[in-house]
Amino acid sequence: MNVAQTLANYVQDPTAPKPPHLPRPTGLDHIPDHVPADLVLSAGLMNGEDFLAEPYVYMANLHRDFPPVFYNVSFYVNGWTLTKHEDCLFMLRNADAFRNLDAVPFPRDEDDYFFFIPQEIDPPHHRKYRNIVDPLFCPAGIKKLEGLIRQRAIDLIEGFEHDGGCEFTTAFGRPLPVSVFLDVMGLPQDMLPTFVEWADQMIHGETPEVMGAALAKAVAYLKTAIAEKKANPDQGVISLIANAEIDGRPLSDKEVFGFVCFLFIGGLDTVYATLNNIWAWLAQNPDRVQEIIDRPDDIDAIVEELLRRFSVTFSSRVVTKEIAIRGVTMMPGDRVSSCLPAANFDPEVFTDPLTVDFNRPRKTILAFTVGVHSCMGGHLARMELKVALQEWLKRLPKFSLKPGAQIVYKPGGVIGPDIVPLIW
Amino acid sequence: MPKVTYVSHDGATTTVDVPVGENVMRGALYNGVEGIAGECGGAPSCATCHVYVDDAWTGKVGGPADHTEAELLEAAASAVKPASRLSCQIVMSDALDGLVVHMPETQY
Repeated sequence: MNVAQTLANYVQDPTAPKPPHLPRPTGLDHIPDHVPADLVLSAGLMNGEDFLAEPYVYMANLHRDFPPVFYNVSFYVNGWTLTKHEDCLFMLRNADAFRNLDAVPFPRDEDDYFFFIPQEIDPPHHRKYRNIVDPLFCPAGIKKLEGLIRQRAIDLIEGFEHDGGCEFTTAFGRPLPVSVFLDVMGLPQDMLPTFVEWADQMIHGETPEVMGAALAKAVAYLKTAIAEKKANPDQGVISLIANAEIDGRPLSDKEVFGFVCFLFIGGLDTVYATLNNIWAWLAQNPDRVQEIIDRPDDIDAIVEELLRRFSVTFSSRVVTKEIAIRGVTMMPGDRVSSCLPAANFDPEVFTDPLTVDFNRPRKTILAFTVGVHSCMGGHLARMELKVALQEWLKRLPKFSLKPGAQIVYKPGGVIGPDIVPLIW
Repeated sequence: MPKVTYVSHDGATTTVDVPVGENVMRGALYNGVEGIAGECGGAPSCATCHVYVDDAWTGKVGGPADHTEAELLEAAASAVKPASRLSCQIVMSDALDGLVVHMPETQY
């Protein structure tokens, strides 16, 4: 059976998860015949020299240096890359032609397969899962968490504000989202150091073995937590999911696990990287720090602009039927990636895109994507960023990079500096 | 519980219960009413839950909640009219029981 038939015959049944068996081509030896040779490029989107030197300048320059649609060849996975805002919206809003199957590159047992929920669930089932957690993750739900998030931020800052400096990523960038995650999930705060260690090893582990071992430990812990919350429900998200029903039936163990596990891997690294990027920039732009301090009523617009300027990741899909973007034909089975930081720098939509401008007219930014799969944690992320800025700048309005410190970026699918040493 | 009637572009109507305090965008999403995307989840940071408030209700519902909603509405995909609102910004109350909103041809 060819890929087109496999996809046409694939019916997604969350109660009986089956692997979609899609090709994952890598490298120059695996380029489909329908891809025009002049569009085959190796952009080094996650690991090239230019990317690593100045990732956001690199992303802005994609509009100048690359065609708007090109076939990117990499060691990770080959596929189409979209950089235009309009094209990314088209892809992300067309869940029928661009599906989210096999979205998480995580080795799973084919005979005991599970979906990462809701990311890998397409319509018509997708919304049913979102409806379970929406009351908590919607703006009104997150608003209820504001006080708690604020207290977590204050506690962290008060721990180091008299030290004259800190390494931001370990002192704040990592522990803030992890402690908030524990609160939201209904897990105890004394797990903070353990979860921080797992999250660090999963993302920055020296070898795949270290990364896999950390994930395995987290998975084992989460499985125990799910069983515990089934027996003794509380107000947290694990309880909410473990005891939820859709279509009049309780969620299966695999659904609950796939959902909880996705929340764990989904939210931690992106908020972490976003905070690190923004603080590295603030530390080098004291006049802009003052501007934020001077405009307390504009904090929401400020957060939105910072999310546009420092968006951290990509969003990929699998093509299900022949479709063209800007005259470029894509075939079933092709992978397509919306390069979100580049789309947020599309000069046709955002003039002078690298400039942080808190007075920009509101337009659709792609930090959290759009369409049915748009990020469910977006409101939580916005709140964390807002509270972090407010509480930090209240206590530490003047800070800068430690003399001699260099901001170094690591290769990978989430853009962020490795360390951000600060002094004040 | 207050009711909201959603009228699709082709005239089909769906009436659902929307609890007090919940917004009209979410009322559609929870009940599978098509025609409202609400893709940002009510930040508000998009204009994909655009509706036209029925003439009989514009007085009670009122205009855009703030500057942000007004600005976002300018970018709506379908024609913007005096009765245009982002449905995520219309919060249900007993006073709005029976509300009728019309959905545009497209949200993108």
